[in-house]
Amino acid sequence: MVVVMQERATDEQVQRVISQLVEMGFDVHRSTGALRTVIGAVGGNRAADPRLLEVLDGVQEVLRITEPYKLASRTFKPENSVVTVGDVRIGGDEVIVMAGPCSAENEDQVEAAASAVKRAGAKVLRGGAFKPRSSPYSFQGLGEEGLRLLRSASDRHSLKLVSEIMDISQLDVITKYSDILQVGARNMQNFTLLRELGRSRMPILLKRGISATIEEWLLSAEYILAGGNMNVMLCERGIRTFESYTRNTLDISAIPVVRKLSHLPILVDPSHGTGLRDKVAPMARAAVAAGADGLLIEVHHDPDHALSDGAQSLFPSQFDRLMAELRIIAPAIGRSICLEPVARRGWGV
Amino acid sequence: MAQERSVKRRLDELRREIDAIDEQLVRLLSERAACALRIGHEKKLAGMDVYQPSREAEVLGHVQRINAGPLDDAAMKRLFERIIDEARRLERIADEARENGPIE
Repeated sequence: MVVVMQERATDEQVQRVISQLVEMGFDVHRSTGALRTVIGAVGGNRAADPRLLEVLDGVQEVLRITEPYKLASRTFKPENSVVTVGDVRIGGDEVIVMAGPCSAENEDQVEAAASAVKRAGAKVLRGGAFKPRSSPYSFQGLGEEGLRLLRSASDRHSLKLVSEIMDISQLDVITKYSDILQVGARNMQNFTLLRELGRSRMPILLKRGISATIEEWLLSAEYILAGGNMNVMLCERGIRTFESYTRNTLDISAIPVVRKLSHLPILVDPSHGTGLRDKVAPMARAAVAAGADGLLIEVHHDPDHALSDGAQSLFPSQFDRLMAELRIIAPAIGRSICLEPVARRGWGV
Repeated sequence: MAQERSVKRRLDELRREIDAIDEQLVRLLSERAACALRIGHEKKLAGMDVYQPSREAEVLGHVQRINAGPLDDAAMKRLFERIIDEARRLERIADEARENGPIE
């Protein structure tokens, strides 16, 4: 790190900073200027708390140069990580689309969604059985019954399944049915849950917290990685800002930022990101163009009567159209989307 | 043409002089570092800290007092700060090696 001293800081104040840095194990490079002294500190302990220096007299500013996370960092692993779920590879050249209803409601609804998203080219079915709702009076999900419905629909349409885990007590039951465990935005800093998921070897989709910085998000991923589970994917889903027109502000810039800082796959959820159906497709197109490794999109055969998040769910026909558009955008940046020939589209299947 | 050749000859001569001075500097810097290591060892035995700000201030004051230019005092101070920084680093490494035993 770099410690910038205030103008006219005294020699004693500079000495106090150097002795603190030496104590922390840093090698010190002092540079005395005409007005102010700058102290470079290299080596030392990654966990060293810069605030210990910030509070010293005469210190203007402490700039940390290395990231506080290690395993999640691209410095640690320069090449992109690919998370493999059966024959689906997330983080490779192919953009993987995960789509389905917000929550499983009944057998017909799950079946309708699964067949629609499969036909359009999705590789993974999404669907909640345990729902973290803002209000305790809202629909809370079908629980294990919902997982059963989602699993059997996934199997019928050879889709993988991603479903949210809200509490570590649900680990066994969700692992029994789901291929990928999603950690929702509200649980992004539930460190006991993250630590337990680090012990498992299940692929984890870690959503960004509603007001989490990218650094906090990567530190949460670090919790899972530190336990030895390297199958971590990140998912941007919008952050809370002063703008109230959309439900959240989808941070598209998080995609190139995360790509630079980390080797982990980065996905985008434009459904939660905007909360409004007509904004989902434009943001999905933007996300793919910006380099996202995948998308998480809510699709419902009858959104007007959905038990949760109907307003942000696409109709199957809208999803079809979006996938067709994404197939044009992805090759422009050297990616592909849904490699199988979807030529059967239009042949009445 | 002849003028160019004589400029080149003078430059070569001055550059050889720089190289010779650098050789002395490197030897002296190494001698100084070895001396600093011995001091570090003594400080360790006496249970003193690696970082002795008052002594560093003395060293910096001394070199500025004896400085006759053309480098000004502030420049001399900055150069010696770097020399001291490196000596401190060397002391730390030697210290760790003693604590951790010989490197296998």
